[in-house]
Amino acid sequence: MWPPYRPRRTARLHPHRLSRNTYTAGIKVTLSSSLQLLQVSIDDIFLTEVKMAEEDIQAKLQNYRTAPFDARFPNSNQTRNCWSNYLDFYRCQKALDAKGVDTAPCDWYKRVFTSICPISWVQKWNDQREAGNFPGKI
Amino acid sequence: MLGTLRKQLKSHPALIPLLFFIGGGAAMSMGYLARLALRNPDVCWDKKNNPEPWTKMDPTHQYKFYAINVDYSKLKKQGPDF
Repeated sequence: MWPPYRPRRTARLHPHRLSRNTYTAGIKVTLSSSLQLLQVSIDDIFLTEVKMAEEDIQAKLQNYRTAPFDARFPNSNQTRNCWSNYLDFYRCQKALDAKGVDTAPCDWYKRVFTSICPISWVQKWNDQREAGNFPGKI
Repeated sequence: MLGTLRKQLKSHPALIPLLFFIGGGAAMSMGYLARLALRNPDVCWDKKNNPEPWTKMDPTHQYKFYAINVDYSKLKKQGPDF
């Protein structure tokens, strides 16, 4: 699947230096309490990262004009670009539905393929998806 | 074949530049085909393990030789992760 820029979901901690990763202001802490503090700080960072990503996507969707330049498809033949975004939209929907998360960020892919793809192709693929013989892997 | 070629070149040495140009042209065309086959992200060699090679590309990857307007170092991945 596409994303090489997955934000890291699990922190990598040095097993001997856990207490340094928490802001305990010089108070001597036991291992378990420092682990708890650590877990809270990592959760906070992860949540802020997720929130920032969501806000970014919201901002991008609001300022959308047309599909931006995609370095993966630099030539004038943008067929692959259309196909890739169509697949990515439905895969994103399926993945986020499975996780139970709001699928609104997936709209980026929908906007891009709506801009790029010929309407007849989109209609044909939608019909194929409903009939169950869509050739791509979703 | 190379034997007859060498004999002909000895008797008509003016044919040597012809060899260079035709050989160079053939090498360039084969080279372009090889680059398309091996480097083009649309091409899929291994359907089982790497069915969609364009998904594994870096957003700053420059495929074209000469970029006029696009600053490749500033490009970022656009869609959300999932």
